[in-house]
Amino acid sequence: MPPKSSSGKEKDLGGEDEVLQAVILADSFNKRFRPLTVGKPRCLLPVCNATLLDWTFESLALAGVQEIFVICRSYAEQVKEAIRESKWSKPSSGIKIVPIITSKETFTPGDAMRDIYTHGIITSDFVLVMGDLVSNVKIDEVVRIHKERRKANKDAIMTMVVKESGGVHRTRSRADTGVFVLDANTSECLHYEAVVGYPPTRHVKIPREVLAEHPEVEIRYDLIDCSIDVCSVEVPSLFQDNFDYGDIRRDFVHGILTSDLLMKSIHCYIMKEGYAARVADTRSYDAVSKDILSRWTFPLVPDDNHPGGHLYEHLRGNKYIAKDSSVVLSRTCKVGANTLIGSQTTVSSGATITASVIGQRCTIGANVVLSHSYVFDDTHIEAGSVIEHSIVGANVKVGEGSRVQRGSLVGDGVVLGKGARLGPFERVSRRRTAGDEEEESDEEWEEVEQSQSKLPEILGEGSNALVWPQGPAEDDEDLDEVERYNNQRLMRIGDTASDLHVSDVDLSDSESDSDAETDTTSGFSRPSSRSSFSLAPSHSQSLHTLSAAAADSEFQAEVTQSLERAFDEGHSVDNAAVELKTLRMASNVELVKVREAVVAAIVERIPVVQGDAVGQKREIGKVLGRWGALIDKIGGVDAVETVEVLQYHCARSARQPLFGQLLAALYQDDVVDEDDIRAWHSRPLAKGVGVKPGPLLDGVKYCWAVGQKMIEQFDAQGSESEEESEEGSEEDSEEEED
Amino acid sequence: MAPDSYNPVNHRAVEVLVSKLRRRQVIGSREAALETVRVLRQVVSKARFSNIDQLVNLIRSVGKRLVEAQPKGNTVRKILHHIREEYNTAINGVASTSSKPVFSISNFVLQGQPRKQSVALKSEGSMTLKENDPDDPDSFARGLKPVLMEAIQDVLDELETVYDTVSKNAKDHIHSDEIILTIGYSKTVEAFLKAAAHSRNYTVIVAETGPSYSGHEMARALSSAGISTFLVPDSSIYAIMSRVNKVILGAHAILANGGMFAITGSLLAATAARVHSTPVAVCAGQFKLTPLWNLYHEFGALDFADPSSVLGFEEGNLVDKVDVMNPYYDYVGPELVDVFITNDGDHPPSSVYRLIKETYDDDDHEL
Repeated sequence: MPPKSSSGKEKDLGGEDEVLQAVILADSFNKRFRPLTVGKPRCLLPVCNATLLDWTFESLALAGVQEIFVICRSYAEQVKEAIRESKWSKPSSGIKIVPIITSKETFTPGDAMRDIYTHGIITSDFVLVMGDLVSNVKIDEVVRIHKERRKANKDAIMTMVVKESGGVHRTRSRADTGVFVLDANTSECLHYEAVVGYPPTRHVKIPREVLAEHPEVEIRYDLIDCSIDVCSVEVPSLFQDNFDYGDIRRDFVHGILTSDLLMKSIHCYIMKEGYAARVADTRSYDAVSKDILSRWTFPLVPDDNHPGGHLYEHLRGNKYIAKDSSVVLSRTCKVGANTLIGSQTTVSSGATITASVIGQRCTIGANVVLSHSYVFDDTHIEAGSVIEHSIVGANVKVGEGSRVQRGSLVGDGVVLGKGARLGPFERVSRRRTAGDEEEESDEEWEEVEQSQSKLPEILGEGSNALVWPQGPAEDDEDLDEVERYNNQRLMRIGDTASDLHVSDVDLSDSESDSDAETDTTSGFSRPSSRSSFSLAPSHSQSLHTLSAAAADSEFQAEVTQSLERAFDEGHSVDNAAVELKTLRMASNVELVKVREAVVAAIVERIPVVQGDAVGQKREIGKVLGRWGALIDKIGGVDAVETVEVLQYHCARSARQPLFGQLLAALYQDDVVDEDDIRAWHSRPLAKGVGVKPGPLLDGVKYCWAVGQKMIEQFDAQGSESEEESEEGSEEDSEEEED
Repeated sequence: MAPDSYNPVNHRAVEVLVSKLRRRQVIGSREAALETVRVLRQVVSKARFSNIDQLVNLIRSVGKRLVEAQPKGNTVRKILHHIREEYNTAINGVASTSSKPVFSISNFVLQGQPRKQSVALKSEGSMTLKENDPDDPDSFARGLKPVLMEAIQDVLDELETVYDTVSKNAKDHIHSDEIILTIGYSKTVEAFLKAAAHSRNYTVIVAETGPSYSGHEMARALSSAGISTFLVPDSSIYAIMSRVNKVILGAHAILANGGMFAITGSLLAATAARVHSTPVAVCAGQFKLTPLWNLYHEFGALDFADPSSVLGFEEGNLVDKVDVMNPYYDYVGPELVDVFITNDGDHPPSSVYRLIKETYDDDDHEL
């Protein structure tokens, strides 16, 4: 009698309910995991001994998804194979998984979305995730909310799932995040701005309409973007219509929200409970592994619901040892907290393992020290080796007494000789042997291979490894901002990037404690850095000055040139202002620098007329009358600062005696008014506080004294309420009064 | 027809339950037990077997899968026990209702309490069963199945009525004007206290039971039933213990030595009660008995939940530096419990082993 193949008939895929579909973009579309991803797609990398793809499937299964499309590009055959072999393809899993292979020309998630559109597989609202998701979120809840919203408003096309995390968090990417502007009541996403970690982002622009149309707005920079999007059917078609959309966040979301024509809206779902994160780079690989080991992902934890189907026993201190008693732990080995050891692994005497994950069938030699490291299956680490903050691939052999320092990545199948010394952030992969048949040609690999004819010493004797180049690539400047070397550094395992100035709160806290400005900014960001103010936690001047000085002088020169051109060619004030604004944007300097430059240029423009006060005054009036307005048009009006800048410039320049007349002329032209002068006059900087004794201080003091007289005049005018005023050094100002 | 061509381990219903258990979509021991019985009923009704061993092995393998997902499996053991009993009845006729040798202490304990689910002789000598009949391999299964289904239905009924049966003696345990302390939200305890409220007027103090704060729910449920209820923070349990007349706890599982796993905070309450010599009563259905022992977890617990209820995930700096343990259950040793109030009568911890011997077969302790 043929066996009734268990369940074929009683399968009830949700009855008359719509089937919940999900799309996994399994490809990473980047090279952050190289060389670990040489010969293997990223989604098959093991995290806590289960492939990323399994974690993603489990996350979706947990959410009640019934049909999954896996979009794969590189090593698609391997992905297909893995899906076929996994427990998910069994009929009993209740999930239908369809791998879809896209062409090699698919370079971005946007391309993949267009591919989905052409395949026409999407029939209803679907869940879009990346192939690197670890989550225990109830996505079905989000889908329900999304559908309800859709009933009311057809244009709500997408719901992004984000997780609150606080500004500084190991699981939150520092290099590739975004600022979300949300409507506090409807949680509609009003604006999205991508933020890169380096160069630090100090400003975010929020369109004025957003603030005008919504009475209450939340600006949040403390959200982990889990890349779980509940999308409507038309999302792929929007990608199809806008062929230049690449990234889902920086292009699609930003594009939709800023578009005046589409009138579509995107919502956010801020989850309070549950866990979701992406393994987008080696740094988050580390963080997510640790989150799993410290059970944030519960019930998705190794001893309970391991997606790979392994069984682990959970011991005190979050140690997980494979349950089938095939693990051999020597009596004298030390297994520290937050450690996972796969089945059939042997740990020899004296070895110390802390906060690490060890794959199946590994051998750890005597006195090996493993800390914060990840060792994949079938790897042998021989006696006395030290590995810290690194990822070691499968089938690797690490020779006796080797040392692998923080941030290193060792690709699959590498053999490191005896006494190998891998420096920090070294990347090594296996040299290809002649017999190797690669299904995909890999240009980068070939390049690396060609550049290396002889074996570097650091690899030890008898190694088969290739060392990958470090440092920024030659075409670094041409790359996307996200992909540049310094930004990528923030995504590396073990890299604290303490030498980079990053726009995160933690660094500013430690670097510029003395900075008074920090206090005010961190005051804004105190509770959970909810506001965007925390983005620019003050410029840590002490560290900045060196590099800034060079940039400054260059900028000064540029401004002077452009102003000269404007003066000579007689541009209109508006045109000159536009030019200055552009310059300022381009070289990213503060407004006060521009002001200094403009004031300096204008003052230097005034010809000095010796011994003729009236003639001099006429000259000043001419120049200021023509160009004075420019000072207020460079992007911000701050008259007090203008006076101060003028003071300091005059103190330094040969036109010091002109200060009084200049000030008076500015007063005349309404560039500054009486209150501004008073405000300036009472400032400590105006009195020369903090300025070293010398000609500069004298100049400053002189100018201050002039200002003093002017204020006396104002006072006198106030009391007399007449233009009749005392005689002083400011004859001109008195003459001009009308 | 090889009987193992049908592999029940891959049965869809089993698979679904396993993943539900693993994903914590089935929560609570009673829910889990009910689900398990339903699945086993399906399995048995579909199973093909020509002798009892095949059937037992089959159920065992299913049980093993389920136990891997959540370490208990009492229900599976119980059903195995019932199956054996039915089988013996059917084979040996009316004569031996119980196949077990007669234990004298057992009789002593059971005196005055007729066993509730004494397996009534439903299939009274109606048929002759032949095992391994070469002519008609299905005949055995055909003959036995109806009885088995009935036995499983009995288990199901017992589970469904467990709250009522546990609480039927409530008024013998709770007296008027007593102050009762309880912790966490247990449906059994809730039913018990509500039943007592029909005839007694008393006060309940509910501890909040962090970090799940299920005490809130308990307090709400009790006060809505008209019981005078106080909600207190966990930290004050010791302080108020001197005024408490009785501590009533729920259990997640009762172990063979008379200890139990109960919601976090139970150990705190039980220890405080011991210091004040306050009696501790545990309300639990018999299905929570398990022949397992707790050898490794001295004070700790079995099930570690995620740390988010203790430490917010948004505390980025701390998440990286602090390891948080959030055990879901406490182990309360037998010396801290005075009595187990079950649907099978009241028992001191020291005689739990007897109950277990009666409920399960020794062969099934290891699934």
